[in-house]
Amino acid sequence: MHKEVLSLSNMPWMPIVAMLIFATCFVAYIYWTYRKQNKPLYEEAQGLPLSDGEKHE
Amino acid sequence: MSSTTSVSSGNRRLETFSYDDQIVRMFVIATVIWGAVALLLGVTIAFEMANWKLNFGLQWITFGRLRPLHTNAAIFAFCGNAIFAGIYYSHQRLLKARLFNDVLSRIHFYGWQLIIVSAALTLPFGITSGKEYAELEWPIDIAITLIWVVFAVNFFGTIIRRRERHIYVAIWFYIATILTVAVLHIVNSLEIPVSFFKSYSLYAGVQDALIQWWYGHNAVAFFLTTPFLGLMYYFIPKAANRPVYSYRLSIIHFWSLVFIYIWAGPHHLLYTTLPEWAQTMGMIMSVALWAPSWGGMVNGLLTLRGVWDKVRTDPVLKFMACAVTFYGMSTFEGPLLAIKSVNMIAHFTDWIPGHVHSGTIGWNYMLTAGMLYYLVAKLWNTEIYSKKIADIQFWLATIGLVLYIVSMWTAGITQSLMWRAIDSTGKLVYPNFIETVIKIVPMYWVRAFGGVFVLTSFILMMYNLYKTAKSGSTDKVEVYEAYALDDSSVEKTASPHRKLEGIPMVFAVLALLAILVGTAIEIVPALFSGSYITKLDVVKPYTPLEIAGRDIYIREGCYLCHSQTVRPLVHEVLRYGKNSEAAEFVYDHPFQWGSKRIGPDLARVGGKYPDMWHYRHMFDARDVTPQSIMPRYTWLFEQTIDYSTLSKKLSVMKTLGVPYTDADVENAVATAQAQAETIKTTLVASSVPPQVVDKEIVALIAYLQRIGVDYGKAP
Repeated sequence: MHKEVLSLSNMPWMPIVAMLIFATCFVAYIYWTYRKQNKPLYEEAQGLPLSDGEKHE
Repeated sequence: MSSTTSVSSGNRRLETFSYDDQIVRMFVIATVIWGAVALLLGVTIAFEMANWKLNFGLQWITFGRLRPLHTNAAIFAFCGNAIFAGIYYSHQRLLKARLFNDVLSRIHFYGWQLIIVSAALTLPFGITSGKEYAELEWPIDIAITLIWVVFAVNFFGTIIRRRERHIYVAIWFYIATILTVAVLHIVNSLEIPVSFFKSYSLYAGVQDALIQWWYGHNAVAFFLTTPFLGLMYYFIPKAANRPVYSYRLSIIHFWSLVFIYIWAGPHHLLYTTLPEWAQTMGMIMSVALWAPSWGGMVNGLLTLRGVWDKVRTDPVLKFMACAVTFYGMSTFEGPLLAIKSVNMIAHFTDWIPGHVHSGTIGWNYMLTAGMLYYLVAKLWNTEIYSKKIADIQFWLATIGLVLYIVSMWTAGITQSLMWRAIDSTGKLVYPNFIETVIKIVPMYWVRAFGGVFVLTSFILMMYNLYKTAKSGSTDKVEVYEAYALDDSSVEKTASPHRKLEGIPMVFAVLALLAILVGTAIEIVPALFSGSYITKLDVVKPYTPLEIAGRDIYIREGCYLCHSQTVRPLVHEVLRYGKNSEAAEFVYDHPFQWGSKRIGPDLARVGGKYPDMWHYRHMFDARDVTPQSIMPRYTWLFEQTIDYSTLSKKLSVMKTLGVPYTDADVENAVATAQAQAETIKTTLVASSVPPQVVDKEIVALIAYLQRIGVDYGKAP
């Protein structure tokens, strides 16, 4: 019975598909993120918590 | 002040506005109050574990009733309010916009507190759905959904009205939290009501287990991790007055974490009857989590480069640096525990609560403490009352946590080694489960006193924050100015991801997709498990009296100390009997596999002892098992069985697919009473008064004698 259930529900390809989906997405956003042209934009974004907006006098 | 005024300057419109800080103050106060309640409950049940008499014979404060209240208070009341306080404060400032709607903010606040009070008024009375970390019954589940929607509308409405184009990384983590918690809560809470206070899960057995731990694990991920990471990305740079170490790393951190976390739930079910592929996937994805988790930790700690001297003196940074360090440690330990060979040793032992508390106390409490010191000083326009008290609090909390973790490691490894010890003749070295329990009781005392340290530290913080707030004032409302959002802030040449960061709704959809992919692959096959789990003829539905007894088992929280699944491991089969099969749980709404073995597994307890043994055991466990730490359940001998809802219960079960006939439903009460008479006869033969026939103990005995019998005793 145990073997029968496992043989019917066994999907060994599932973890591999999961890893492939993740690896593809991972490479894509690494590529987008580390493009040189974005460096100044990210440097600006880094400082966002430090600028709460100018106080109105 | 909630109004906005504007002045045009060239093509751009300069607007003045103020933030709604009152709602943040309200959530801050709620965080402090509920935090103390959660810790007090934790210390109470820790002492009850060390000494079973400490419930003073009262059912409402017995371990099985209070433990769900402790976890709900810690996660949803303490951490929940802390999250809302931190999010509402940082969200407004990062977007340069007041919260979307003041009324929604108040509905959110009072609604959430009402939910917490409802939990406190139901769980001690045994009103529970019996699913760990999701024990609240269906009316409260609906209330949670509604209030969460209010929160989401307020949150996304603020994004729409923002004056800052870029959506800072902290807000991404908030977005992922809001969307994922909604999905988790709704899917896991699907149930059919029997009455206002009782429902049965839509799922059963393996299916229920997988969905429950998909929820349970991701409640940790998306309630205790992602929102706090968002808070980390805001408050650490703020307190250190330095930008985050690497914004690019934060992007990698976010997407990797959100994508991977959702897949990891099955590591809670290793070596169970869950399909092998799901177990392997859960393990692989859990190990993969090491990378993004440590990426986040490194990013948090390196933000402090150049200001480490301040960590020594500034309470805010001290608590936050410690929190991030504990985050690193617990996210190292988590994947380690998810590796099958390690999990085989650690699962069901006290190592697991040790791991959980290194996260909730080390990460959540410490980060919240840092955030509260920052917020109270800012919101009440003053300085922290006493850095000395904060320092004492820090060390008390740290020492208390170390006592907790080390005692639970010791207890867990001791339990596991004793459970699995087999001698040269192939027999268990410690065949009596109680031998392992006696060994770890001293560790329970150490854990309880560790908890006292943590609770004391929290009380010190309450005092310090109170004095801080009292020395300040909330009279002054700051007015800010910023340009309204227009096309001039659009970065036309930026990369796709950079543009995406300025399009919040598309970003939210992609984040939702990231978690839905894992969700679909993980739980959709489970939803169709009926097609691959062949029902066994020997496995029959529970009788009406057994259903009544099972509900008492759930009410008393027995699953919090006893598991109901035998793993295919030699020592477990030797100790308990035949290993469990998926097919034997198909009528279990909800499943009751549990996650701890403070007492022995009960999957094969049916028929193992006579009825009278259970009668004596439930009245006083020490009568049959000397030195047992199980509390007495004397009220089961006084309270009568509730037959009034029995037909409805069977009817609901029938709707859920349990093969009861109409006659079964119609005759439920008569059938139950007849079975109760049979059990009474065996008890009366041992000099028990005949009045026992309608007492709850009889229904519970009926259930206990049925567990695992159909398949376990089958050839």
